[in-house]
Amino acid sequence: MRMTLGLIRLTNQIRVRPRDLKPISSYELSNHTDTATREVVFLKVPRFVRFLFPRASDRWLTFLRIGLGVQIIAYCSTLLPNWRLLLVSNGNGLLSRDVNEAISTIESPFLPTLSSFVQLGNHFGLDEASVLVAVLFCLLISAACLIAGFLCRPAAITAWLLHLACVTSTELMSYGVDIFTTIGLFYLMLSPLPDRASLDVKIRKAHASDPRRLGFFQRVLQLHLCFIYFFSGVDKALGTGWWNGASIWRALTRPPFDIFPAVSVAHWSGFFTVAGISVFLLEMAYPIFIWPIKTRRVWFLSVISMHLGIALLMGMYLFGLIMIVLNTAAFGLSSNRSASRVFA
Amino acid sequence: MRHFHRRIYLVWFIAQFFLIFVVCCRDTLALLAKGYTISPAPLNRWWAKAETLMATLSGGHLRIGNPVRQAVSAYTQAAGIKFGYGFFAPNVPDSYKLVFELHYANGRVEYELPRVSTSAAGLPVATLIDSIGHIEYGPLRELTVKMLAYAVWREHPDAEMIRAVLGFVTLPSPEDFKRGVSESYQFLYAYDFRFDSADQSNPR
Repeated sequence: MRMTLGLIRLTNQIRVRPRDLKPISSYELSNHTDTATREVVFLKVPRFVRFLFPRASDRWLTFLRIGLGVQIIAYCSTLLPNWRLLLVSNGNGLLSRDVNEAISTIESPFLPTLSSFVQLGNHFGLDEASVLVAVLFCLLISAACLIAGFLCRPAAITAWLLHLACVTSTELMSYGVDIFTTIGLFYLMLSPLPDRASLDVKIRKAHASDPRRLGFFQRVLQLHLCFIYFFSGVDKALGTGWWNGASIWRALTRPPFDIFPAVSVAHWSGFFTVAGISVFLLEMAYPIFIWPIKTRRVWFLSVISMHLGIALLMGMYLFGLIMIVLNTAAFGLSSNRSASRVFA
Repeated sequence: MRHFHRRIYLVWFIAQFFLIFVVCCRDTLALLAKGYTISPAPLNRWWAKAETLMATLSGGHLRIGNPVRQAVSAYTQAAGIKFGYGFFAPNVPDSYKLVFELHYANGRVEYELPRVSTSAAGLPVATLIDSIGHIEYGPLRELTVKMLAYAVWREHPDAEMIRAVLGFVTLPSPEDFKRGVSESYQFLYAYDFRFDSADQSNPR
């Protein structure tokens, strides 16, 4: 009986009615193609979604949270003796804050600036100097909260907002480290905090996060680093200086990175060509070799070594620290093999 | 994790990485278009067209007061994706140097550099000098140099006139350096500033 019913259904499906015998128009043909494409896309999308939403532990988030807390404290401590000199307005510092803010907010007036905090403070009777000290104090408190894992989300948002305001108000003085700290704080703020190692979970009994949301934000950080290194490598490979080693020599002897005497650096000139080519190859190939489990460790350690080298040989300690924090959070603690399966 | 939430994350992910890609491509194409690279010169105008296209995709073609452009710009700056990541690329550039000549009434001349009290904060100051060197709009460049000169004058209020000389330092190659060639200073701009005590209250 079941077999008969099945046959009837099949004949109904393949029965051709006269009106169906018209020629297929190009529109219908394209519709068929679209359907086929849609099916292929439909088959691939779950794979991509699985790649984007893997299950992940929150160890990477713990590391990112603590690392960024340390980074913010280091950032504040380097600027502490000159905090007022660098950030004050009306020409009483090195360069008026107003000029920096005017430049950085030409295109985006929605950005937070220190002047907006100063104006807010004025409503409460605080002068500019007091507000600047308060900003520094709040930044340090939020960094301490991040390290301890206490009020993780508000601390992350505060740190991001205040750091962004400082960067916006020192536009002409900001460099790579500020960009990468902003990236790290932006993702931390959006990530599913708190993690299990935080005081929020241990003392306040907050709920630990969904592993797929954790996996998603780790994946975003991983992919962003791949873009960063790939384009950084490509841009370097386009210049002759990285092919013949001149850029390595210049990077090590150019003020303010000349922490070793040029005489000592010149002794190593035989290695500059190899070092220059290695740097851009390491960066360009990062998106390829960082994913497979077999090459991940080698590539990760090579990149960390490169950043340690930059920190020690050029005195860019803050830059080295933030890059090590971001890399370790993205790939250093990852035990997830699904990504390597996708890309292998 | 709910399906709805996953869709929101997906939309944000696509927007975020679209902007990252466009911004990175725009900056790389800008390097190519300016002829700073190993790319053949006849291709420069094509790189420039491609750069314009990428700038358009990130809202760069809209007028500056356009809310969409302002929102995109604010978001990219807040997320740290406003610029590409071509640090020290395609080559490590020469460093700019700003020297102040302090002229006193008795004819004495002293030299000063912009400085801060700690070496760690020296990097932002070096970045500032480089940024000033890259400013193409003359009045803005003069204003920033004047502010730095004023900071120096506050420490030397007896100085009658401060001459700020902006230039860049050209480093020799390792081979030339071994032969005894030292760095050379290339002059770019010079500004003379006179401040008086009335400026203390209104320096600008």
